[in-house]
Amino acid sequence: MAKITPIRESVTTIADDGGRIFLHPADVRGVFTNWRRIVGGLLISIYVLLPWIPINGHPALFFDTVDRRFHIFGLTFAAQDFWLAFFFITGLGFSLFFITSLLGRIWCGWTCPQTVFLEHVYRRIERAIEGNSAAQRKLDGQPWNSEKIMKRGGKQVIFLLISTIIAHIFLSYFVSIPELYKWMTMSPTEHWSAFLFVFIATGVLHFNFTWFREQLCLVICPYGRFQSALIDDDTMIIGYDEKRGEPRGPVKDPNAGDCIACNRCVQVCPTGIDIRQGLQIECIGCANCVDACDEMMEKVGRPKGLVRYDSLNGLSGIKRRIFRPRIALYLVMLLIGCSVMAFSATKLKQAHMSVVRMAGVPYIVQEDTVRNAFMVRLINKQDLPVSFTVMVDSPIIHDKQGFEAPVTVPPLGEVVQPMVITIDRAEFTEKFSFDVKAVDSSGEIELMRNAEFLGPILLPSS
Amino acid sequence: MSKQNQKPDEPKLRPHAYDGITEYDQRLPNWWLYTLYGTIIFSVIYWFFYHQSNASMSDVEKLEVAMMEIQATKLANSIDVSNDDLFYEMAENATFVSSGESIYNQYCMVCHGPNLEGITGLGLNLVDAEWVHGGEPSKIYQTIYDGVLDKGMQAWGPIIGQKSITEVTAFILSKKE
Repeated sequence: MAKITPIRESVTTIADDGGRIFLHPADVRGVFTNWRRIVGGLLISIYVLLPWIPINGHPALFFDTVDRRFHIFGLTFAAQDFWLAFFFITGLGFSLFFITSLLGRIWCGWTCPQTVFLEHVYRRIERAIEGNSAAQRKLDGQPWNSEKIMKRGGKQVIFLLISTIIAHIFLSYFVSIPELYKWMTMSPTEHWSAFLFVFIATGVLHFNFTWFREQLCLVICPYGRFQSALIDDDTMIIGYDEKRGEPRGPVKDPNAGDCIACNRCVQVCPTGIDIRQGLQIECIGCANCVDACDEMMEKVGRPKGLVRYDSLNGLSGIKRRIFRPRIALYLVMLLIGCSVMAFSATKLKQAHMSVVRMAGVPYIVQEDTVRNAFMVRLINKQDLPVSFTVMVDSPIIHDKQGFEAPVTVPPLGEVVQPMVITIDRAEFTEKFSFDVKAVDSSGEIELMRNAEFLGPILLPSS
Repeated sequence: MSKQNQKPDEPKLRPHAYDGITEYDQRLPNWWLYTLYGTIIFSVIYWFFYHQSNASMSDVEKLEVAMMEIQATKLANSIDVSNDDLFYEMAENATFVSSGESIYNQYCMVCHGPNLEGITGLGLNLVDAEWVHGGEPSKIYQTIYDGVLDKGMQAWGPIIGQKSITEVTAFILSKKE
């Protein structure tokens, strides 16, 4: 395969006839590569370990779909608390806005699962089996002899195995690990939906990481697209210092700039662009070209940073501005989302109560009493039984029928019982509201609901 | 292999221009086109399978089957509530009576008291000789089902359903001397 010559007007990895040009990025060494490996390793360990680390008796992250409960770092959310997801998601959204307008597509290059698994797992295995990029390209051109079958076949088998493991770990965020292990040892016919989920997820992951790769970032990923729209002239991006580098020429040419036209930055690029053509939508900010160029500059004894992290303004010699109004706006929005989320999370109750007037007549008048009947519903969101004492708080109400003794609500269950309130007719002058209070036996959960007492309105005697 | 990878320096432009905006004439990636063709083929298969062949039920048929299932469950739980003798038989059956008792304790006890003797000003006495709203089992059932709204007795039919009301009726009858 010929060396690629990227141009700005078309996508390097798509041939003129629509076919795919498969990239074999060259190896790269350097500071950023080392740090990216550390970050990648850390992120993969977090992904693998989260379902195994117990906090408050549940995995650190566990979306229990069977019981409709979400365990997030020791906090438990029931399906009824789902409205909090709004603040969680907007908080995440504005975090992305904030980070992108400040640091560019740092998410894509350093932390996106697509990049992390592709660069630190799949490509490393490919490198170990097939050799460096030149060897990989040579293998591409070879006929299907035993060497190619062994290498390519072996690679596919290992890739498939890893895709299966990643899919199973993903499922373990939704199904408890003992349950998942039980399923793994059973026949697929006993749990078709879970089996199909893992089967399809494995297939999609395998296709994505084996063949599709950077096409996802270039054509499909929406986050990459709106991150590109969030970048302005003061955002930190990866760029080429044109003023220093141009005109390109051999090391010995005294009239040439610092760029020695070695093409290393193009060879190491995982999306097949030439960073010297400026900021492009394909750039995922992986810093491979920074490390590649720094290595060459060091070899020829020129200062590093010809390709570097800088803003467009910084690259053209204008003073860099870090703080901008939009940064402040994103920060405020992000803080609103986070603080509402955090505040509401601390206010969440492990139970819920509703007090609803019974159907039929709103009140009953007897000789000297007025009576209102309510249905009280107690919902227990915990997975252990909770006993509640229900009280009525009002100076007028002395007679309450129902809830004489504490009621026990089963785990994840509910109890519905009537409550009848009677007052002296003489005491009733107009409708009034009162509080119904439920307290659990430990006194930790206190629920309060307001209800209205209705009765006959006495017309002023004329 | 190497020929197709050679890109001309500048892609061709489409002949049209709108407001000075022109468009490159470049092919879509094949994988993208194949995805599109795949969805077209899928839509034909889907259309044939769900709308033309009898291999799958239509939504209306599925709804009818589901309604039949609901009705079957209802029929299985339904008892001839006008048959007084049947209620007396149930009142002898310990299973019926005990499930009736737990329903009574949850919903009825508040007004009719723990021993069915009634609470002054609230619920009527259910164990004395007097039946204000009719003492035949089918009448008792009907009273519970429809309630006596002007006296504050809730219509329990829509809340706890026919089966539970039948059981409560059996429990009340069992307490009668």
